[in-house]
Amino acid sequence: MSGNLYQPISGRITDIIDESSTIKSFVVHPESPFKFATGQFVELTLPGEGEAPFTPSSSPSQTEQMEITIMKAGRVTGLLHECAPGQMVGIRGPFGNGYPVDRFAGKEIYIVGGGVGLAPIRSLFLTLVDRIKDFRKVVCRFGARTPEDFIYKKALFGPWQKIGNVDIKLTVDKANGQWSGNVGVVTTILNINDVNVKNAVAVVCGPPIMMRYATLKLLEFNFVPGDIYLSMEKNMSCGVGKCGHCMVGKYYVCKDGPVFTYEQIKKYPKIWD
Amino acid sequence: MEAVFVSKLSSLLDALAAKMDVYVPVKVSNHIVFKKYDTENSQMAEFNAVRACTPVKEFLFPLREVAATTQAQPEIATVKPFAVFGLKDCDVKSIVILDKVFGEDEFIDPLYMARREKMFIVSSDCTGPAESCFCSLFDGKGFAEKGFDLNVSPIKGGFIIDIGSRKGREFVESNDGLFADVPASLLEERDANRKKAQHQLEKQNAGFTPAALLQEIVEKTQDSEIYDQIAKDCIECQACTRVCPTCHCFYLYDDKQKDYFTKMKIWDSCMRFGYAMVAGGANPNKVLGERLKHRLMHKFVYFLERYGVNMCVGCGRCIDADAGGIDLRQLLKNLSEEANTQKTERIK
Repeated sequence: MSGNLYQPISGRITDIIDESSTIKSFVVHPESPFKFATGQFVELTLPGEGEAPFTPSSSPSQTEQMEITIMKAGRVTGLLHECAPGQMVGIRGPFGNGYPVDRFAGKEIYIVGGGVGLAPIRSLFLTLVDRIKDFRKVVCRFGARTPEDFIYKKALFGPWQKIGNVDIKLTVDKANGQWSGNVGVVTTILNINDVNVKNAVAVVCGPPIMMRYATLKLLEFNFVPGDIYLSMEKNMSCGVGKCGHCMVGKYYVCKDGPVFTYEQIKKYPKIWD
Repeated sequence: MEAVFVSKLSSLLDALAAKMDVYVPVKVSNHIVFKKYDTENSQMAEFNAVRACTPVKEFLFPLREVAATTQAQPEIATVKPFAVFGLKDCDVKSIVILDKVFGEDEFIDPLYMARREKMFIVSSDCTGPAESCFCSLFDGKGFAEKGFDLNVSPIKGGFIIDIGSRKGREFVESNDGLFADVPASLLEERDANRKKAQHQLEKQNAGFTPAALLQEIVEKTQDSEIYDQIAKDCIECQACTRVCPTCHCFYLYDDKQKDYFTKMKIWDSCMRFGYAMVAGGANPNKVLGERLKHRLMHKFVYFLERYGVNMCVGCGRCIDADAGGIDLRQLLKNLSEEANTQKTERIK
């Protein structure tokens, strides 16, 4: 990395997609092509207001534009939700390590996701699907509070389910009239027969409590901690392992993560808080 | 080490000031702080017997600075060469620690490095360590052996100036007329002075010597109740992290100027409640005792694992500044004792 680490490049929001009552996807055109690896994150600046870390939800093969899915959670995300297409933003990054997709080759990939955690997973999913023959199969188990709370509904309820070698199951905490699928938290649709654990890796991304219980379940299935990949959410500010806010033990989530194996971080306190 | 002699401190400072801005230790009330040296008022600078109240990081990593702007040409502060006189061994060692963070290969912080490259370091021997000084627990001797451009040792009738770098040598050579050779007797006198200070440091810290490596002690006592007990004395003033010469946490925030936007870099403190909190409200360090523990783990375990050195130099500023009366030496001693008890219990 060269130049000023803290200087964002400029970008423009060209489209905004409503995903759920609290989540929107922003299509951002950076001023110059922007390369990243799936799972890496960017710091998105709303000029004069603040910046916040997000993992792009689009495929890294797309460098002219990227999509960033954002849940309204705090001050900056609240202000972003009020933006209209045309809004200028700043982008710093990409930061961190991303998913080691090459290491997944030849394996079954068991993806467990919940809520807005599907954002980084979408980017990973699109990356995997691009070279689906490299993997034995991709098994997805996703949860949301209600059917309306699923993001990427159009793809999720339709085309993604029809891709060969891909097995998707969904669950909701609370159903409504039209829902015919499973009701219960995401761990209720995890089954030891979903994958051949010996030749599989697991990827988990979602709210901390879901990640915790999903990890416990995966351990019960005899996944080794080194095969469970967790995308950690912490208060990343600088993005380059200096400012200190995102420390998990000796690791800086921004630089050494945001993707960690459970093996790397299991000894540290408060990883799920 | 090559050394020269100068009889008046002001001759050295004036020669430095002819080339660059010079900051010197000045006593304000009971505190030593740095002020810009004024050649018209050369008596403003006195030899400081002990480290200043303020940490050297202020020169390299100011409290608040512009990190980026939306102006066409992002401006990284244009830094003029500057010298700081009166830094002590602990200060010099704190710079080594900050260099590891901000000068890390892949991720060089241009703001820090711009200042670092322009800094001329004039350290000096401690002749009167403070009661709170505990560098001796970290192999400190009260004088710097490396890491300076010049080092000043006071002796009868003048000062011995050690040359510690190419920059230091160039300065001495270009001011040839100012300096004399050092008589051997003066070097002996200096050794005696240094031993005296070192002895004082060792004596005042003898009772605080930990029973094992600090890394082991702090790591082993992570579940200790001591942190929650000490939290009762902590008033969360964050002074410990402000005056600490190695604490380097910062936060980036965005600001509006008249016709452009800026991204600002400002010191932050891991003692602050919201320090690690994410937008959704999750916060791993809600409890003050947890934050105190994290600070110690960072200083004595995590930083060591990552960079091979403790993130503490034993300057004792945190002890002087602590409004709640927390003494880091005592805290480490208590943890050391608890770690020992654990060991015994396990044997049983």
